[in-house]
Amino acid sequence: MARDLEVALAVARKDALAELRGRHATGTTIFFAAIVLLLFGFALGPDARRLEEAAPGLMWLAIVFAGLLAVGRLHETETEDDALEQLALFPVARHALYLGKALAGFAAMLVLGVALLPLVALLYRVDLLAAWLPLGLTLVLGTAGFAAVATAYAALTMRMQAREVLLPLLVLPVVAPLLLAAVKATTAALAGDPFGELASWLQLLAGFDVLMVIAGAVTYRFGLED
Amino acid sequence: MRTRTLGWVALVAVVAATLNSLVGVPADLNQGDAQRVMYIHVPSAWLAYLSFGVTALAGIGWLWKRDLRFDWLAVASAEIGVMFTAFTLLAGAMWGRPVWGVFYQWDDPRILSTTILLTLYSGYLLLRRMTDDPIRRANRAAVVGFIAALDIPIVHFSVEWWRSIHQVATFGSPARILHPAAPGAFVIALLSMLGAFTIAWIYLMIRRYQLAALEARIDEAARRGTLAAARAAAEAGVPEVVPRAGEAIR
Amino acid sequence: MPSTTIYLAPPRRALEAPPAVATGDLARLFGRGAALVDVSIEIEAGRCIALTGPNGAGKTTLLRVLATILRPTYGIARVDGIDVAAEPHLVRERVAFLSHATGLYADLTAAENLAFAATMLGLSQAEGRDRVPEVLDAVGLRAAAGARVGTFSAGMRRRLALARTILGRPSLVLLDEPHAALDPDGMALVDRLLAGWREVGVTTLVASHQLQRIAAVADGSVALAGGIVTEVTGDGVVDRSATRNRARFPEPSPTLQGAVAP
Repeated sequence: MARDLEVALAVARKDALAELRGRHATGTTIFFAAIVLLLFGFALGPDARRLEEAAPGLMWLAIVFAGLLAVGRLHETETEDDALEQLALFPVARHALYLGKALAGFAAMLVLGVALLPLVALLYRVDLLAAWLPLGLTLVLGTAGFAAVATAYAALTMRMQAREVLLPLLVLPVVAPLLLAAVKATTAALAGDPFGELASWLQLLAGFDVLMVIAGAVTYRFGLED
Repeated sequence: MRTRTLGWVALVAVVAATLNSLVGVPADLNQGDAQRVMYIHVPSAWLAYLSFGVTALAGIGWLWKRDLRFDWLAVASAEIGVMFTAFTLLAGAMWGRPVWGVFYQWDDPRILSTTILLTLYSGYLLLRRMTDDPIRRANRAAVVGFIAALDIPIVHFSVEWWRSIHQVATFGSPARILHPAAPGAFVIALLSMLGAFTIAWIYLMIRRYQLAALEARIDEAARRGTLAAARAAAEAGVPEVVPRAGEAIR
Repeated sequence: MPSTTIYLAPPRRALEAPPAVATGDLARLFGRGAALVDVSIEIEAGRCIALTGPNGAGKTTLLRVLATILRPTYGIARVDGIDVAAEPHLVRERVAFLSHATGLYADLTAAENLAFAATMLGLSQAEGRDRVPEVLDAVGLRAAAGARVGTFSAGMRRRLALARTILGRPSLVLLDEPHAALDPDGMALVDRLLAGWREVGVTTLVASHQLQRIAAVADGSVALAGGIVTEVTGDGVVDRSATRNRARFPEPSPTLQGAVAP
């Protein structure tokens, strides 16, 4: 167990280091997400009220789309020089590799989310500071669940020709309830939780996270092996 | 031959049950003839869920026992499940149009979860189609089938809660038809459709499983052929092309 | 412990130990092509065996099967008596593999790449700290330890990948064309590494086109062509399929294991 944790942290640390050096995924995906947010604004028209209402949904869509890119990129660094092959050859538990990769994906998405929040506040005129705690909690739980699913499927599709198309096709339906819960929780948090529903949405997110992390850890080896 | 007999039984059962539900049962007081769509809609939904349950279990069976017959079961149930999911949605839309005035109702939780189900398993089939190696395909499919099955209850919960905040209960649900107060003829019509569809499902499952087994046999024959050809090529004189590397070795 | 040798000693072997490498009617198919056909070889522990043959002969496939990267289509492959298909995790603990691709992270430095590998191989923190500079020194990359691998030449990358193979405690080292992209100095390094492995009792299987060079260090050789073993020479390596390959080919032998259930 301690060994698995050591391995997971080593993998995540390695990815974070490469990320900070190369600024491959996070930098570009933040930019991508920002553009998506801007375009949503164009698509929905100049009505500030409407934008404000749609803000939670648009923010989470931007996070989901950018997150797909980020997690895909994290796995791409493994395929560049066939590092994946060496990674698979190390005598370590496959679930430890999964946890490391998922942790790296989670970190990248969290950075992404934190970077997007002020932008959402700015563009869609939403007051985020008033509800920073529930918002932060939603962001953590939402991105964790997304990273858990996307990492599990990235390993499956990594070696496939059409992985850029296939990964979103597989991940998006699975994270549909996560998206729903995260948007609802964000909306509730911004409105001051008038119906007292925030806690149940956060619980749903937490339950999703736990289930998907376990599922990903158990199944990661089947994607990694021939 | 026994499978063929089952096929005929299924056909007769489905035709008889359909006729009964079309002409044997009176129209619903509120919804008129539109309500008859329920006799297809409800069995389809039941079989879709049954299929995906089988897909998940077969996937686990494959990962556990490493017997490709589990994968044949998985592909059979997934394809048939997607078909019945599509039936469910189509029937729902046919019913929704006259009763609700719309084909697709965004705040009905069951429609939403069924749509998500369709996308989940379409992805599953797509992934299968894009993987050639049978073992790799079985592995990948089992993982996706497992995660999708875990997702189904979460999808269910989330859309239920989502709706519960701003929508009154849907009418025309199976609960209403099977309600103790519902006329006996309605209940019998629905149950006979359920039975007939389930027999048809078993027949389709067997046939699709047999097809998967045949596909696997063709694959295996092709592999044996490849191996035999390589052996023949070796026998025919490949050794002459080999550099006599051994001579340099002490 | 004196660090005169750059190798960590491999795990000790039992007296009546199985061969380091044993394959039985091993076949691997890729779609419509056969990369390996009925390969049955045995390699005794501690030997250095060259794997020769033209491009497309099946050398890389054989190494990849032994490294647990590819699963056999038919037949069996064992490392130290352990079936690579049934218990790959146990095989991975014994094998170091140098592939065509070096499998390095371009954004990390040479030292960071090795430190990561050390952790993954199960070396302790302290052990890793000691070993990484030592091993970098051994492959002549001490000066480049802090440079990012992305800036390395192909030869330097290969040296670094070689360094990774001596980092752990493998009992079997599989090298796929280790001489590729190396300068004369680097090729001499490969020779030294191979000799060193033999000294400490590590089995090495080396696919190479540098026939003269490899002949100088290897105990024996296995030649492949079209996926078939065509010639086996030297010490410590046996071809059990030789007679069959040269004579008639029987129908699929009973040891062939179908991937498909009957």
